[in-house]
Amino acid sequence: MENSNSYSPYSSSSVDSTKPSPSESSVNLSLSLTFPSTSSQRETSQDWPPIKPRLRDTLKSLRLRQRGYNTALFVKVYMEGVPIGRKLDLSTFSGYKSLLENLSHMFDTSVISGGTRDRKHHVLTYQDKDGDWMMVGDIPWDMFLETVRRLKITRPERC
Amino acid sequence: MDRRFPFKVLEHIFSFVDSNEDRNSVSLVCKSWFETERRTRKRVFVGNCYAVSPLKVARRFPKMRSLTLKGKPHFADYNLVPDGWGGYAWPWIEAMAARRPLLEEIRLKRMVVTDECLEKIAASFRDFKTLVLTSCEGFSTDGIAAIASTCRKLRDLELRECIVDDLGGDWLSYFPETSTSLVSLDFSCLDSEVKLSDLERLLSRSPNLKSLKLNRSVTLDVLESLLRRAPQLVELGTGSFSDELDPEEIAKLTKALSELKQLKSLSGLWDLLPEYIPLLYSVCPRLTSLNLSYATVQMPDLIDLLSRCSKLQKLWVMDLIEDKGLKTVALCCKELRELRVFPSGADLDETDVTLTEQGLVSVSEGCKKLESVLYFCVQFTNAALVSIAKNRPNFRCFRLCVMEPFAPDYRTQQPLDEGFKAIVEKCKDLRRLSVSGLLTDKAFEYIGVHAKKLRMLSIAFAGDSDLMLHHLLSGCQSLKKLEIRDCPFGDTALLENAAKLETMRSLWMSSCFVSFGACKQLSQKMPRLNVEVIDEHPPKTRPDSSPVERIYIYRTVAGPRLDTPEFVWTIHKSPEVGVSRLSIR
Repeated sequence: MENSNSYSPYSSSSVDSTKPSPSESSVNLSLSLTFPSTSSQRETSQDWPPIKPRLRDTLKSLRLRQRGYNTALFVKVYMEGVPIGRKLDLSTFSGYKSLLENLSHMFDTSVISGGTRDRKHHVLTYQDKDGDWMMVGDIPWDMFLETVRRLKITRPERC
Repeated sequence: MDRRFPFKVLEHIFSFVDSNEDRNSVSLVCKSWFETERRTRKRVFVGNCYAVSPLKVARRFPKMRSLTLKGKPHFADYNLVPDGWGGYAWPWIEAMAARRPLLEEIRLKRMVVTDECLEKIAASFRDFKTLVLTSCEGFSTDGIAAIASTCRKLRDLELRECIVDDLGGDWLSYFPETSTSLVSLDFSCLDSEVKLSDLERLLSRSPNLKSLKLNRSVTLDVLESLLRRAPQLVELGTGSFSDELDPEEIAKLTKALSELKQLKSLSGLWDLLPEYIPLLYSVCPRLTSLNLSYATVQMPDLIDLLSRCSKLQKLWVMDLIEDKGLKTVALCCKELRELRVFPSGADLDETDVTLTEQGLVSVSEGCKKLESVLYFCVQFTNAALVSIAKNRPNFRCFRLCVMEPFAPDYRTQQPLDEGFKAIVEKCKDLRRLSVSGLLTDKAFEYIGVHAKKLRMLSIAFAGDSDLMLHHLLSGCQSLKKLEIRDCPFGDTALLENAAKLETMRSLWMSSCFVSFGACKQLSQKMPRLNVEVIDEHPPKTRPDSSPVERIYIYRTVAGPRLDTPEFVWTIHKSPEVGVSRLSIR
């Protein structure tokens, strides 16, 4: 009898155990129904919108390539301690050097990438497509463009 | 007794009855009609592989030549059914191999097919002609090699969107060295490279080949050489369409494409570069089917292509076509019957892709034969839906996916109830419907009242209460398949309409509020329904009132299945036994 791999964890919406009464006229959003409402959730959701896996994968890599080539690559940049973020088009920079120069200018402070964690300088980190926070500068610029989602300038002491 | 037609006469009359639905009706008339029908049925269709046992089917239809089976629920296409749920082809292949060795065609959809299955097919059916696997998984290229090498009369080998353990392109060299009887070959879902020489030689010795769908790893520079060897193709799925060609290569390829005088269908076109679009101009005027799902071409280049396709009946494209491109389609493609517009994800990147509801309105106005639509859009309006319904009352399939869950009409902030009401009111022949956006119970009341021919309905993030489900189950007379996700109700409507469920093929509900207790009650009430609870946590460890993650309910004469994995629980019929996971090891 064929059985494929044993039980594998799968993502699912978790539903609160209290049932709403049928007379409720609107969806009770306070329950822990997780639905891909924000675009960032839609980006990482594996089951919404309802398209087949092969198309989903193809579109993911399409967008990655488009980001690298002819489309603007806007990412949000936050500085720790500053509530308002800025939007930056990464495709306008030639590499890490020009990015850091620009950021230092934009936030009026000295921003550096990886390497020595100096108490004096702000360090630039980025969130990659897997959701992990990494030090900027570790990978080739082209690869960085494909994987970066968000930028954060950390306060010196934190690192 | 004397009023019965002789068997031979009945048999002759039934040979003109093709559709299985009609044959099913015929078999219900009386015992002798049942007997005659079953002895003459050649093409057998089983919509749910767990609805009946393979043995029963094998015994009932001795003249069976073609078997079509479907396994997993439709929502498995969107990752909503966990791996290992089921849908195994083996018991069927085994039963048919033992009892129906004259079987020639096997078509499987959403099933788990192993190399063992493929080897069994190759070894057991001496006249085997057709293998079509759609959205299947569990096999490797070794299994395909077995089919290629052993089935000497093979005509069709189609792997449509399967997940294959790709061990390399050698399988292609396993076809017999003498001429093959191949009519269609589709390996577009495979990843690894096949040897060009193998492919060229195969094409040269397959004079009957009409349909060829290559995989992405077949590069553009070799396409010309392949087409030269198969100018009789009616359907072509190219490989990658983005590699750099020098002017001489471009000229040769242009010529090779123009030689395909019979070509009606074009697909593949991975990463189609705008500068290569003119190469396709010669085939456009004859095309009836064009699949641009993988062609990442944008406007305005798409217009150059589409404006030349005046005979187009089927168009699959990404939302990169934008409203403007759809306007061109409305003007130029007057024969269009089916349109699918997929999301490229550009909206997530905040790049400018203006595909709105207007695009679909234009097409519904201009393309009078349009009857099937799948449209992904960020938001919609009631006014647009009303226009669309007025323009095209001939819709048979209308699937709208508003990608923002709970998105209201963005102009009026109202739910999309009135819009979908127009659709079901005007489109009296509607067979399949997918709804989305902000919808209240009212929308489903309209659907229940008007959609009398509706067979399949898909719902996500909608409704307010059990009334919604109640409207559907009590109203939609022809409903056969209902799939629901993320809607806030369950128990009452299910239990009140339990009898309806036996008239349907299946019901899927995930992330809704169906309690374990209700599942138990339903199962005990309805002996011929399998009520499957698909849940990470054993239902016994929770109170009866707690909701379960997913349920899959389907009618069956085969009883609870014996191949459930750890996370699927079939509710037993007798209350003392409760819940069990029967399995054979």
